[in-house]
Amino acid sequence: MQDAPGPCRVVAFVRGWSPDRAGVLELERVRAHLRGLSAELVFESEHGTWLLRPDDEPHPIERLGRTRFRVDDEEDAVFVIEASGAVRFAHCQRTPIAGTLAPALQRATDVMLAQAPLHFTRRAWLTTCVVSGFALVVLSACKQKPSREEPEPAVRAPEAGEVDIVLDVNGQKHPLRIEPRVSLLDALRERLLLTGTKKGCDMGQCGACTVHVAGKRVLSCLTLAVAVQGKPITTIEGVAKMGELHPLQRAFCEHDGMQCGFCTPGQIMSGIAILDEKRATDDDAIREQMSGNICRCGAYPNILAAIKAARGGAS
Amino acid sequence: MKPAIGAPIDRVDAQRKVTGTATYAADTPVTRVAHAVIVTSAIGKGSLRALDIDAARRAPGVLAVLAHGNAPRVKADRTSGGPNERVLQLLQDDWIHYADQPIAVVVADTLERAQGAASLIVPRYETAAVVASLEQSLPTAFEPKAMVHGAPDSSRGSFDIGLAAAKHVVDATYETPNENHNPMEPHATIAVWTGSDRLTLYDATQGIFGVRQRIAEVFGIPKEQVRVIDQFVGGGFGCKGTPWSHVALCAMAAKVVNRPVKLAVTRQQMFSLVGHRPHTSQHIQLGADPEGKLTAIRHAVISETSSFDEFVEPSAMQTRMLYACPNVITTQRLVRVDAPTPTFQRAPGESSGTFAIESAMDELAYKVGIDPIELRLRNYAERDEQENKPFSSKSLRECYQQAAAKFGWNRRTPKPRSMRDGHELVGYGMATATYPANQWPAGARATYRPADGTYLVQAGTQDLGTGTYTIMTQIAADALGVPIERVRFELGDTAFPEAPVSGGSTTASTVGPAVKDACTMLRAKLAALTPADRAVGQAVVAEAKSEVSPERKKFATHAFGADFVEVRIDEDLGMIRVARVVAAFAAGKILNPKTANNQFVGGIVWGIGMALEEDTVRDRRTGRVVTRDLADYHVPVHADVPAIDVIQVDEVDTVVNSLGTKGIGEIGITGITAAIANAVFHATGTRVRALPITLDKIA
Amino acid sequence: MNAFSYVRPTSEAEALRALAEPGAVALAGGTTLVDLMRLDVMRPARVVDLGGLPLDRIDAKTGGISIGALASNTAVADHPEIRARFPVLAEAIDAGASGQIRNMASVGGNLLQRTRCSYFRDLASPCNKRSPGAGCAAFDGYTRMHAVVGGSQNCIAVNPSDMCVALLALDAVVRIKSATGERAIPMSELHVTPDDRPNIETTLKPGELITAVELRDAPFAKRSRYVKVRDRASFAFALASAAVALDIEGTAIKAARVALGGVATKPWREQRVEQALVGKRPTQQTFDAAAKLALADAAPRPDNAFKVALARRVIARALALAGGVS
Repeated sequence: MQDAPGPCRVVAFVRGWSPDRAGVLELERVRAHLRGLSAELVFESEHGTWLLRPDDEPHPIERLGRTRFRVDDEEDAVFVIEASGAVRFAHCQRTPIAGTLAPALQRATDVMLAQAPLHFTRRAWLTTCVVSGFALVVLSACKQKPSREEPEPAVRAPEAGEVDIVLDVNGQKHPLRIEPRVSLLDALRERLLLTGTKKGCDMGQCGACTVHVAGKRVLSCLTLAVAVQGKPITTIEGVAKMGELHPLQRAFCEHDGMQCGFCTPGQIMSGIAILDEKRATDDDAIREQMSGNICRCGAYPNILAAIKAARGGAS
Repeated sequence: MKPAIGAPIDRVDAQRKVTGTATYAADTPVTRVAHAVIVTSAIGKGSLRALDIDAARRAPGVLAVLAHGNAPRVKADRTSGGPNERVLQLLQDDWIHYADQPIAVVVADTLERAQGAASLIVPRYETAAVVASLEQSLPTAFEPKAMVHGAPDSSRGSFDIGLAAAKHVVDATYETPNENHNPMEPHATIAVWTGSDRLTLYDATQGIFGVRQRIAEVFGIPKEQVRVIDQFVGGGFGCKGTPWSHVALCAMAAKVVNRPVKLAVTRQQMFSLVGHRPHTSQHIQLGADPEGKLTAIRHAVISETSSFDEFVEPSAMQTRMLYACPNVITTQRLVRVDAPTPTFQRAPGESSGTFAIESAMDELAYKVGIDPIELRLRNYAERDEQENKPFSSKSLRECYQQAAAKFGWNRRTPKPRSMRDGHELVGYGMATATYPANQWPAGARATYRPADGTYLVQAGTQDLGTGTYTIMTQIAADALGVPIERVRFELGDTAFPEAPVSGGSTTASTVGPAVKDACTMLRAKLAALTPADRAVGQAVVAEAKSEVSPERKKFATHAFGADFVEVRIDEDLGMIRVARVVAAFAAGKILNPKTANNQFVGGIVWGIGMALEEDTVRDRRTGRVVTRDLADYHVPVHADVPAIDVIQVDEVDTVVNSLGTKGIGEIGITGITAAIANAVFHATGTRVRALPITLDKIA
Repeated sequence: MNAFSYVRPTSEAEALRALAEPGAVALAGGTTLVDLMRLDVMRPARVVDLGGLPLDRIDAKTGGISIGALASNTAVADHPEIRARFPVLAEAIDAGASGQIRNMASVGGNLLQRTRCSYFRDLASPCNKRSPGAGCAAFDGYTRMHAVVGGSQNCIAVNPSDMCVALLALDAVVRIKSATGERAIPMSELHVTPDDRPNIETTLKPGELITAVELRDAPFAKRSRYVKVRDRASFAFALASAAVALDIEGTAIKAARVALGGVATKPWREQRVEQALVGKRPTQQTFDAAAKLALADAAPRPDNAFKVALARRVIARALALAGGVS
């Protein structure tokens, strides 16, 4: 077992940033990257300096100061610094980075995983600072500032057997480079981070992965992503419109049509389909039509009640 | 203000669940996480002679292949021997104890490549003969070292004298098969190391602190350096109650490849890697006087465990206190089979045990010639005769009465095969449900946040779908004297005050009082603030640790209930369906009738599965599970589940804990299997004593 | 799942060429293929996605209905002409799988649906179907779900399709194309019993593609029913099922069709039962007596012996429903 390096720290100077100003989605993406980097983030703006660990609330800390990092006031910058003090990644730009911190971190992750030479300025530079007890000592000296060039997007060369496809999910087109053996389910969950669709069995026996393809409910675990290019795909994330829950989603809340909630996205995708197709004619028909969606918690009577309520509301 | 406790409010996490934004362990976003898959043994016993991993290691995208021989040594794969922990299989030796035991872990940059590479691994085995079933090892039955609760044996009075004095005797053996929990969310772990000695695990678990402790031991690091997070658990039912091998293997893989790793157990692996309810064989003897008064009870349980570890399915426990009877013997014995170690599964003991004892009581009712409710009333236990303690509360009479009335039990004609409707034989059956009310110590923290006037309440507990988020919010709101909208309850993080595993129907009774105490303390602190303090606008924090009151020890604490079932059986084709269920439960204070009803109903649905469908079949030659997916291992689907009418019987209990709750997660699955079996007997005249009752058993 | 190359032809000719390549398999709904690939039971080098082919039409004409091989099970079962003219087919499809799977599964794919034998699906168990000569783990194993007829020591795996049982009872015709031509065979000639070659399941030759299934109107087709018995009320494979069709003229049965599912290694026609019905009055007594002739050659294993009597009762019930005897 090789010894992992100590905790990594990402330092970001981002004008205009504060935890309250960052969108929820942006923060979630930042957290995802921090997990990927096994790192914590220190970010600083005119509003203050915060430490963000992937699973904690942002925590205010003492000011770092840009000058120590040779970042001037008209710049935003991101550094990835190992515990040893080695700077693994450095990036600096004049245009504000705020909206793109997540992509910048994504690139940092890609670069670090590529095992490529350290990606920062043409030569290493010297800086010393203390970030809330974290000693950063970069030994090799250099007067030069970090690179101003955009870090090249880490475009993976296509590997044998990979194909480029575009998936049309919830009205958005997503280009993907994947192997043909990737299921629609894994494409959604692992590539597009649409994790609302669940993997309960991965063999068509539970219904947790139900999505709509071209308006029909299907099992995304038995669907190859490559085979549904160009077809409109709707997942649980695309059901609520403009923040307004679908009537069946509301009915599930009111009738407590769930316990653990793991099968719920699939139940709702199935339920919406049978309502749209007018198959929910009576209790027994609903039970039969919904039998491809297993709820191990046994919330079936409440799911039935929710579908009936939504049917009533719709008609 | 109307109290939040007792109100049928909507689940506070419902919106996240219906929009797909509830984050289960495997949903945790981790950029470019690597994927690990476990390769398992084909044989059921023996050793690995060789394991060719070269092709897998060379496959595209593969970062590492771990196996015996190259896997890092761990500090502790064995347990301290406690009944709450399982021995792990962490690639430390070449011995194979059971079929589908982990023999390698493949890590790659994508899931597909990890899976593809896993199929390239070629093991060679030295095969040993497998003991696959209880019957084969009966002669070697032995007394277990330890049980989670109580002693293996109990005895009061003289069974032999009681039986000799009996007019009516029932002497029968009941069997329950191996069963698997199969929560919809397969176990999954994401391991993120920061440095060489700090680990964050996003793990599907019912007990984050248990995982923390065990993983810290395995890797020899202080438990404070392990953080376990699980905000949403996709069902547990016991299999997620203890950490299993895959959790440690995932952390091991992450350490070896020096990057975060995700490992999701496959549905097929759910049948071998995460425990099961063990096969039981239960010999029951009942003696009764001419009026049906019990003179003797013997309940002798034999259950399976693995060749290397002990787990006891405590099926005899309820028999010690369920009925008034002067002469009672119960025993728990184990037999070893070449299978994975079993574990807790919803109402461990009481679910399988009530099937036996409540079936036997039905048989006795027929022998005595009285109504089965009347038989139970004649033997009503007014106190726990084994412990010689009064019940803290017991409302079983009310349960019988209310459920029987709503069900229309008086329409039943007792003679088997006496009720029919066209092609269908109709059967009515009833049984008693029971589950102990336990409480453990737990911690909770409450924080007032002046910035927005909200209260953040945190405890390191879990919500398995049981409604923890919701009921804790209600408890906190009442203790703080604020509407629930101003309270946010957080759980599932070992950064919060410690709470125990969510199991044994204890979460409400354990974490609830801690939340109540923390919020009461916070309220007092806030009341004591001076205007100057308030002006500072600092957060105010209160932390509490609840303890179990000594008063509790003076009482026997149990929830009770009664199940009434109508089955309909196609006389020609044999298909059995549960047509309706009416059940009444008295389980102390009900915190939220809406989520509670769902829990009770869910238990009953489990009972339908256990009674009619569920059976983990192992091949007797190899020990491999044959029914290894959800097409072969049947759990109930929508079409199996009729209208289920649950009566929540009011019950005030001032002893059990400060909230008066007894726990509701398990009682639903107790009694119901016997009620169904009794209804099948009433419909057909065939007494099926081995679950599941499939149509071939009544042909 | 192994890595494979993927092609999506847009014409039949292109598809037939692609299918003629060694190691190629056709992908339609994916409910069998993707499942078995994930289990590594099937490891094709090349997947030919038929989704781009215009083979999903259902043509109702006088005299019969032609169903394109890529028509979904749902489309077939929902089709009003099929429900009216061949009710047993709609009932059989509706009794199978789940709504989602019926939306995905194609008629052609369902004709080639592979067994659910647990040993076949578990690579750790020997299986002659997977690797000829390896032996059959099922024969002396857990056999509750297995075939009671049409098997041998080499294989007792059940054909799991519901749809095929109905098509067999309806005397359906299967249209097949290859690079060299086209042929049509009756349903009864599509599937074969395992005998000593369990890996061969149909008479389809390598490179051949099922393009359509044709149903011809017959007096018995309208009076046809499907009854399925399973371990739970829905989403389960048959323990025994029967597709029956009766032509009743006046007070006598003029013709009958009886086929069984869930009990045999292929969809199983019961001509002895059919013959016993002809000329008789459609009474419960007639049906019970005829049904008793079914599975005369059954060779059940210890765990599945119950299927023999069960299948007979299923036939009797289906006949009673078709014959209007309550």
